[in-house]
Amino acid sequence: MSFEIPIGPQHPALKEPISLRMTVEGEVITGVDIRLGYNHRGVEKVAEEKNWIQNLYLTERICGICSHSHSTCYAQGVEKLMEITPPRRGLYIRYLVSELERVHSHLLWLGVAGHEAGFDSFFMYVWRDREIVMDLLEMISGNRVHYAINTIGGVRRDLDAAQVAKALEGLITLKKRSEYYLRIGATEPSFVARIAGVGFLSLEKAIALCAVGPTARASGWPRDVRKEDPYAVYDEVDFEVATADTCDVLGRVVVRVKELLESYKICEQILRNLPAGDIAVKAPRKAKPGEVVSRYEAPRGENIHYIKSNGTDKPERLKVRAPTLGNYPATVEMLRKGFIADIPLIFAAIDPCICCAERSVTLVSAASGEESVVRMSDLRRQAIARHRNAPVKRNAVWPL
Amino acid sequence: MAALRTLLYLVVYPGLLFLFVYSTFCEWFDRKVYARLQNRMGPTHTGRFGLLQPIADFVKLLAKEDVVPDAADKRLFSVLPVIGLAVVATAGLLLPVWNFDLAAPSFTSFSGDIIVILYLLSLPTLVLFLAAWSSTNLFSTIGGARVLTMLFGYEVPLFLAVLSPAILADSWRLAEIAAFYQQKPLLLLTNLLGFGVAVIAVQAKLERTPFDIPHAETEIVGGTFTEYSGKKLALFRLTFDIEMVVASGLLAAVFLGGFPGGAVIGFLHFIVKTLFVIFLLSLIRAMTSRIRIDQVVTLAWKYLAPLAVLQLLITILLKGLLS
Amino acid sequence: MTDAELIETLKAALGDKVEEISNPARRRLFLKVAPRNLVAVTARLRDQYGVVFLSTISGIDTGETFEILYHFSTPETDFNLRTEIPKAHPHVDSITSVIPGAILYEREIQEMFGLTVDNIPDGRRLLLSDDWPDGQYPLRKDWKHVRPQEVIPGGKS
Repeated sequence: MSFEIPIGPQHPALKEPISLRMTVEGEVITGVDIRLGYNHRGVEKVAEEKNWIQNLYLTERICGICSHSHSTCYAQGVEKLMEITPPRRGLYIRYLVSELERVHSHLLWLGVAGHEAGFDSFFMYVWRDREIVMDLLEMISGNRVHYAINTIGGVRRDLDAAQVAKALEGLITLKKRSEYYLRIGATEPSFVARIAGVGFLSLEKAIALCAVGPTARASGWPRDVRKEDPYAVYDEVDFEVATADTCDVLGRVVVRVKELLESYKICEQILRNLPAGDIAVKAPRKAKPGEVVSRYEAPRGENIHYIKSNGTDKPERLKVRAPTLGNYPATVEMLRKGFIADIPLIFAAIDPCICCAERSVTLVSAASGEESVVRMSDLRRQAIARHRNAPVKRNAVWPL
Repeated sequence: MAALRTLLYLVVYPGLLFLFVYSTFCEWFDRKVYARLQNRMGPTHTGRFGLLQPIADFVKLLAKEDVVPDAADKRLFSVLPVIGLAVVATAGLLLPVWNFDLAAPSFTSFSGDIIVILYLLSLPTLVLFLAAWSSTNLFSTIGGARVLTMLFGYEVPLFLAVLSPAILADSWRLAEIAAFYQQKPLLLLTNLLGFGVAVIAVQAKLERTPFDIPHAETEIVGGTFTEYSGKKLALFRLTFDIEMVVASGLLAAVFLGGFPGGAVIGFLHFIVKTLFVIFLLSLIRAMTSRIRIDQVVTLAWKYLAPLAVLQLLITILLKGLLS
Repeated sequence: MTDAELIETLKAALGDKVEEISNPARRRLFLKVAPRNLVAVTARLRDQYGVVFLSTISGIDTGETFEILYHFSTPETDFNLRTEIPKAHPHVDSITSVIPGAILYEREIQEMFGLTVDNIPDGRRLLLSDDWPDGQYPLRKDWKHVRPQEVIPGGKS
């Protein structure tokens, strides 16, 4: 008996809306169809109507998890267009946040993978330890999710010696825990039984379908923008590209945990070799006409922004390709001939970020006319008042 | 007097009232152990140490809107939760707790009650399947198919494992089996293998991780319970809680030497031994991830069933040696 | 191979199929090709230079034409294939026969700019909602968003 089951737009396995229609034959999937568009906000269109600095905050809001990756990708592109070079201290801090974001994203993913496999204990443990890196990010940038630390020409907040010490201390704990998770993830029998051999993607298929990030690396394709197109600080730090050749979800788990360990290494090098100096240079209001392709290795894979300027203070065109979109064709391939029970795992294994993958189209407001309106000026006044009475910096503690 | 005792037995202990209170306590215990193993707090808010949380959840569900799908078989859909509850509560009455006389069979303790209790514990599975099928939801249908597939996996190992101590005790009556092992407690050690198999099979029967496949929410939403809400869902949850108490009571009676010492000390025995079994169940739940339906069947027939047969062989050999 | 050497070999290999090659920054090559040569050039790049990875396809509305950019990359360098499609005849060939992974990007371009991608294996709508009116292409420059009148059920609008 063959029938069609809808996974999404609303489904417990999906944290964001997407529609996957599965044709199943008993427990075996025979056909997959993906339909996007449930999370479109029209970012690319909006970007054409906002100036360079406003767009920095717009691109940050493309995604909640890898917010820094989009704004950094955009900022480094715009800096090339404006022909300015951020000071090295600024760059170091910017890419420190990048790597910490990768850590938080991979830890988040690891927990979600455990949850999708029904391994809730793993989920709880990983997410507890993720709080350490969240606290570090809060300490460095002031925010837990949208860090807003980038500005065109550098970063907005400096690090002091105490913060560096605290960050190094946190990294030691994280490293210890991650090694433990590598052991659990690769040896716990019931978990391995669920993920080994599931969601097979051969190297040929990964290449043909242009898979990116850990999905491609777990199929033995060592593509990493940080290595092949080393932007900013990445040619000054020592790290390796983690790969696996099992081509399945187990490989993707191993690749991500190994990347975590590499990220700790990078963070440590950045923190120890932090150069002195300014953190930002002043950026001009307008950019010269031109175009730039900016690539960035986000936690989920290659993130690419194409920015075209027409000489005004607004971009002519901003094209954003988030890594998740690049992995969808590969997902369809992986799901075929799988079991229903594997759908959440396989889909989660590309670390889908649907709000990243969908940016274009139109804005629809759902607010009713009855609600009170907060004006921009009110918000500004509130923000200023709040920062004037800013509380003492929270001291992060992580008892273990 | 006898009538009063019977009434007490039916309504208070181990009847409905006790089963309700104790099963909610066991749910709290299970949740607390599970949470502490995951480095969480578990229920803390309602009542002292959050003890009343399961009851609060139950009452909350009772008050929720009760939706019956248009396409469902309405009569079957509504009556099945009650049947499930009735079946497990009846099974609870057969546990040899206090009101039995070893010499004289009564309506709660008779030769063959171990078979009846196993049979009654299988019925909720069928009720679940019917509930899933009658709600006509796509996810429920898949869940229902999974319920039945799993049933064929764990039922045989469970029967073999639970019946082998009975063979050694040479009785089909729970009270007599318990009395036999109370006299020769060392013989309990020979049944450890069967106990292990039975605990895993009970975990599968209760559909808890790693066997929560029929209602795996990340795969098939709520599975069998997708269309159930409000009172009916509350009854189903209560059914599972009571089934957990009864099944652990059964294992305690067969493998852990029963509940000797009359009403009061026997009651303490009951609490301690069932909580021990439930602790083992929680431990399994916290330590494993959900496996696939084909892996369940493989596990049951490749490992559990042979182990159960091995236990049976040991028992028969031992019986020959003893006699 | 440096970018400059690569440009020389590319010029020799592709001949007049490439109209222009520029190299504005390190690792960034921009190749301009005519729409009719697009598939042939892509196939040649894949077979001779190992250009197998397509990052994305960008479209730009320049007024009279659509500029379509295919962003490829290899471990050595990035290739950006640029082609111009006149608005009067908005057709472009699908490159999915060469790069199967291009399918989603082509579907996206198709509905965002109102292009027709010829020979696309699956040309259904991908991103826009099912009730999106025909002939509305959001990323064209002349398309302006008009906020629809909000209707509050049972209340004044």
